[in-house]
Amino acid sequence: MKLKSSQSNAGFTLSEMLVSVSLSSIVLLAAILSSVSLQKSFNAVDNYFTTHMQQIRIIDYLNRDVKRGLIVTTSVDLQSVTMSLPNYLIQSGDPEAIANPSLVGTPRTPTISYNTNGWQVNYSPSTTTVVYSISGTSITRTENGVVTTIASSTDQLVPSTTDVEQANTEYAKTSVTFAPIFSSSGSAATRTGTSLYGTAYLRNKRRG
Amino acid sequence: MRFTSLSGERGNVLLCVLCTILVVSIIGGNVLFNCMTRYNVASSQVRSWKESLDAAETGGDIAYAEVRKTILDPTHAFTGTSGKGSGWTYSGGVYTNSPVTYGNDSLTTSARVDLFYYDANGNPWYRVRTNGTAPVNGLKRVGMDDRMGPNNRGDSLLRKIDFNYDHFVATYGPNGDGLNKALVPVMRPQVTRRVELIAAPITPFEAAIKAGGTFYGLGSAAYIDSYRSSVGAYDASVRFNPSDPRYVDALSGTVEINTSIATIMGSIWGNLYTNGGAVTKKTSSIYGIIDNNVPFSLPPLYMPDTSGWSYVSTPSAVTGNTTINPPAAGTPQSPNYYLMSSFSSSGNMTVNAYSNNGTVQDTYVAVHVTGDVGSATGSGATITIANHVHLEFYFDGNFGAKATNIVNNTGYVGNLQFYGISPTDPSVQQTIDLNSGSGSTAGFAAVFYAPSANVTVNGGPDFIGSVVCKNFYANGNVHWHYDRLLDGVGNAVDYRVISYVEDTR
Repeated sequence: MKLKSSQSNAGFTLSEMLVSVSLSSIVLLAAILSSVSLQKSFNAVDNYFTTHMQQIRIIDYLNRDVKRGLIVTTSVDLQSVTMSLPNYLIQSGDPEAIANPSLVGTPRTPTISYNTNGWQVNYSPSTTTVVYSISGTSITRTENGVVTTIASSTDQLVPSTTDVEQANTEYAKTSVTFAPIFSSSGSAATRTGTSLYGTAYLRNKRRG
Repeated sequence: MRFTSLSGERGNVLLCVLCTILVVSIIGGNVLFNCMTRYNVASSQVRSWKESLDAAETGGDIAYAEVRKTILDPTHAFTGTSGKGSGWTYSGGVYTNSPVTYGNDSLTTSARVDLFYYDANGNPWYRVRTNGTAPVNGLKRVGMDDRMGPNNRGDSLLRKIDFNYDHFVATYGPNGDGLNKALVPVMRPQVTRRVELIAAPITPFEAAIKAGGTFYGLGSAAYIDSYRSSVGAYDASVRFNPSDPRYVDALSGTVEINTSIATIMGSIWGNLYTNGGAVTKKTSSIYGIIDNNVPFSLPPLYMPDTSGWSYVSTPSAVTGNTTINPPAAGTPQSPNYYLMSSFSSSGNMTVNAYSNNGTVQDTYVAVHVTGDVGSATGSGATITIANHVHLEFYFDGNFGAKATNIVNNTGYVGNLQFYGISPTDPSVQQTIDLNSGSGSTAGFAAVFYAPSANVTVNGGPDFIGSVVCKNFYANGNVHWHYDRLLDGVGNAVDYRVISYVEDTR
């Protein structure tokens, strides 16, 4: 019996190895670059939607407070909003709560008065002050001094609110923009493209 | 023997394919997970949160409609009907309706209404508390953005979703007052929002002249201005003097016309509203705002419910000189009530105040004449009220009097109120004729609310008050002064929502 030697089991020549390694490297590099790019795109899109959800949240917060507000005032740079809200609930330290602590957290019955502006509904002699402002990379809501961060992003979220007074009411138009991380140029157009708008009217008669 | 098996090489290919599928699946799964979470928050939770407010406000609208019926259709206010879930029950001073489910998203709303206040006019104010619930479809979990850092929460601080139990009832009780707290399971995840509205009565005299139909007048040298009697007596010079502290009240002689047919003459020191008119500052002397797109409605006026009033049987008609001496002071809610079958064409009615041990008291009187009052010709009716009298005068027919014969001795125009009850027969046109009489410029102080009547003012009386009517015609140089205190007096003719708060807990 004679064993037949097969040429196909022979090793590669140096030139064959160089060509194959080069081609493999190119393919591997392309795969790595594609993966990195895919991951970046995924992160960018994920981040975009995360920030977009925060835009929605900012608008929702603002609209909720504007609707139940008595006065809305925006700062000159339009990035800070101050509003007065009725004191609907009895809080700890309020005169009613001091007289009867069990009333804390219960709704007030409003009082009715008539003055030069007509009839007014007052839940309390004082009102709650709510301020929306930018603090670093966060958007904060401050209610009677208590700060709550309602949105936080490194994408430079910027809300802009204008209030328009009418005869008896007032409305606030808000737009929120941000700079997406996949925008390397940082152009104004890129930011503008992320704009989300909201408009809310006071449901109460405007005061002041 | 020949070895030709290459099974190892096929295994490598399979392994590579499986690894690739695994990697792609992991990436795809991650993308899908993120997409689902975003979709869950954006499409389901945000939408439900907004829809629940819509539902709450719908409940407010339903309740508000019932509140309006207390004026416009009292027999059907807060009554149960055969419609699904539209019945109201009354218990402990609170009207409650059955939950109403509507819309493709099965939104649910319910309302509680209580009368919590009577104002100085005796008009009731209503508080409306409503719940609106929207189901939350999708995944039963909060969004990925909920926690943004220590002490900071994103969505759940704003949008409170009840996944398993109604957190509000468990924490604050069903009415938010800390009573009857209970762990109430929810059928499926839901969002409930709660709002409180205050429905305030609309009083009839919010403008100097309000015409639901056409308007013609006044004379070319006439004018309408305003003042506030609580600040001081009327002073014609104030409207020319911006530095006068009373100036702010001098430019509210507002005229409202609910048609485009408006012939404006004279000067209006106030606003002018029409419904489709073409009035401009070039064609008129109007010192306030002109808005030609302000439609409004003037519903018919019905006789108020008198069951709570103190009925006095005599006099029952005005023939010749008739004096009313009320047996008690009465109150705005329960005035001394006189039902009269007639008021002769030249009848003279005087209403005196009630005196208790020699002390004259504020006295509330309501008179209802079921026929005509006075006449447009001849001397017409004479009506005099003494100081401290608050008279509400209702009439079913026509009204005719000379300005000099309407004598208000109280010093305040709001104490003499005339109400023209709308005819039940639509073919009958009610009229009110006010003549200055013999060219006199003598004035009178009174208010008229007659949404179905045509009002005619002849001559140039000096008039303090307000008129609400159908068609208005005046051809004289009337000096018309609207007292701004009038915008808060009189019986409610409708309701409007003037306060809105949301319980955000």
